Amino acid sequence: MIRPAQSSTSPPLREKARYLTGCRRKHLDAIVRIQTNGYGQRTRDGMRTMTITQTIVREHEADLVVHEARTVADGVVAITLGTSDGTELPAWTPGAHIDFVLNDDLIRQYSLCSSPSRPDVWRVGVLRAPDSRGGSERVHDLLTAGAIVRVRGPRNHFPLVASPRYLFIAGGIGITPLLPMIAEANAADADWRLLYGGRERNSMAFLEELAEYGDRVVIVPQDEQGMLDLESVLGRPRSDTLVYCCGPEGLLAAVEKFCENWPPGSLHLERFSAKPQEPSPEADSAFELVLQRSGLTLHVPPDKSVLTVIREAGVSVLASCLEGVCGTCETEVVDGDVDHRDSILDEEEQASNEYMMVCVSRCRSPRLTLDL
Amino acid sequence: MNQQASSRSPRTQVHPHNCWYSVATSQEVGREPLGRRVLETGVVLFRTTDGTAVALEDRCAHRPYPLSLGRVDGDRIVSGYTGFVYDARGYCVHVPTQSEIPVGARVPAFPVHEDGHFVWVWPGEPALARLHPPTATPWLNDPGWATLGDEWETEADLLLLHENFGDITHVAVVDPYIAPPVLRSSPPPLEVEVTETTVSFSRTYQPAPIPEWQAELLGLSADAEHVQHEQGAFVTPGLWVDRWDVYVDTGANESQIHTFRFTHAITPIAPGRTRHAWRVSRNFAFGEQAGKVLLPIFTDYYKRVKQILETMQDVLDADGPRMEINVSADAAALQVRKIIRNMVAEETGMAYRRAPRSASSPRRR
Repeated sequence: MIRPAQSSTSPPLREKARYLTGCRRKHLDAIVRIQTNGYGQRTRDGMRTMTITQTIVREHEADLVVHEARTVADGVVAITLGTSDGTELPAWTPGAHIDFVLNDDLIRQYSLCSSPSRPDVWRVGVLRAPDSRGGSERVHDLLTAGAIVRVRGPRNHFPLVASPRYLFIAGGIGITPLLPMIAEANAADADWRLLYGGRERNSMAFLEELAEYGDRVVIVPQDEQGMLDLESVLGRPRSDTLVYCCGPEGLLAAVEKFCENWPPGSLHLERFSAKPQEPSPEADSAFELVLQRSGLTLHVPPDKSVLTVIREAGVSVLASCLEGVCGTCETEVVDGDVDHRDSILDEEEQASNEYMMVCVSRCRSPRLTLDL
Repeated sequence: MNQQASSRSPRTQVHPHNCWYSVATSQEVGREPLGRRVLETGVVLFRTTDGTAVALEDRCAHRPYPLSLGRVDGDRIVSGYTGFVYDARGYCVHVPTQSEIPVGARVPAFPVHEDGHFVWVWPGEPALARLHPPTATPWLNDPGWATLGDEWETEADLLLLHENFGDITHVAVVDPYIAPPVLRSSPPPLEVEVTETTVSFSRTYQPAPIPEWQAELLGLSADAEHVQHEQGAFVTPGLWVDRWDVYVDTGANESQIHTFRFTHAITPIAPGRTRHAWRVSRNFAFGEQAGKVLLPIFTDYYKRVKQILETMQDVLDADGPRMEINVSADAAALQVRKIIRNMVAEETGMAYRRAPRSASSPRRR
């Protein structure tokens, strides 16, 4: 889904027909094709099959053009994207992320680190990481100015909740979602601090942008000053402060440990990858799945995910990462004892049993009822 | 960050404050003060000498008397009871009984955005307004579109209005005359597209007749069949935009698209009370006569909708909210609920998001 920069004429984009723009005959044909293709298939005896989907829910998706790809630190490139015709992108709020759909099974999430006040451009910061499937390497190598990339989203599972005080803690490239949060907290006149750690100064992105905030920002390159002093900022719980943290698993785990004694809901964090799960003592069991709105009762065998079973029944549900990280498949739970295995909901949210990520989580009770 | 939620309203907040809401049309705001309410707060609107629209809290800082009952003097507004004078930023600049201005004497000022048709205000944290660009509805000022409409208060909650716009299948039940005949047949699949902050839906109908009144305006036979495309978008808690396209073949694989564009600027006055400004724009049949035909058709329809929503609010007020049964086609409306709920949770500093088990809030005065 990447088209590198090459031709001088801009390649035809599969821009969606928007409600603000007119729609020509060829677009109409495309719409009609979508509608008759795959949905409402009939079986040989003329009966409608059980897999008819009357409502198809999907996320906003568009092919965006890379305006600029600039190296902003060792191994970090800041990529600015927009539509080919300069039309506005969907509105977002600090903490939101988008997917780069690099190919059908290589999807990577990147936090938006531009400003919501600029509806014409999005920016992400991407660290070249030795990743088994080469997601970030493809981004670094192919997404140069003029290249085109399929983007899905935005969505936000790391929202900035109103508070008089904030403590932001970033490790390395985890600074990206915090940049727009800091801008908003600062605009709203909140009392905030940023603790930003990294391997060495040269590897830490966006230091120039952060310089304008003066001593609210504490930069801690590990080779100069060692590890972040979490004890000094988190040692004493505060009831008027929200903690926002993004970074590598080691940092997140340490911050989680420190925040155990903080009031519930104080800590908000976002993971790059799935949280290490303790292996379940028993094998996955089968259960019955009721989709309330659709009026369907299904069977989830031990070797299939809830998401797979829902999709096989032809019911439309959003999903993206398939590993419980991105939050796209969050679904409202009506009833059932959910076995949460995602990396998004915190303990209290999991205990409330109101939502589950159907890509990874399962059910301990014999029956699970979802609002689908 | 959210001082307004704690100091202005001690009660549970149910609507987002950090949003642009339309409070008046540009024409309504002039050199005479105009009083409106949004989110249980009075707002006074007026224009300064250079024509800039100003929105201040409609309550004198000295005594609880609305500034909208006072008068505009140059770029200032004078209380009709206390004689306190406020500038366009809300600062008190004169009191009748002493030469010094009491420390901290001011009324809150709301960020204002004017787009040539509506005057929008931002009732939330003022500093955040600039991070949220107002959405544009340029067709309302575009000579390529003929626009008609009206505005009124609906005694029903903002969420009930959103849920109504989120599913137009009721149109055929509410008003068979206005409804395109395709709405009475089994509908084609509905495509719902979501982002973090918006929801849109669309569906395309196989060729079918259009309503008689529309065929007449277009000079087409009432039996002729046309492909029709429907699209709706929840843009913000204060704005819905919909369109209905009729494709009329003009031969040689070309077709002309006749479009109705519907704009709903909706503003929570209080829980259970909503200001509804509706506009119907069209890119065909520009004549005055066509407008005379269309205005009563749409006015009648939106009045019926108003009545139905008010009845629903009455039921909610009398019997309380209940768990509702939803169907697949409610996907868009449910997503709107979720977006609004999350916005409120984030503004009010609620640590956890809670699922809405039923629709709307009871009426408050």
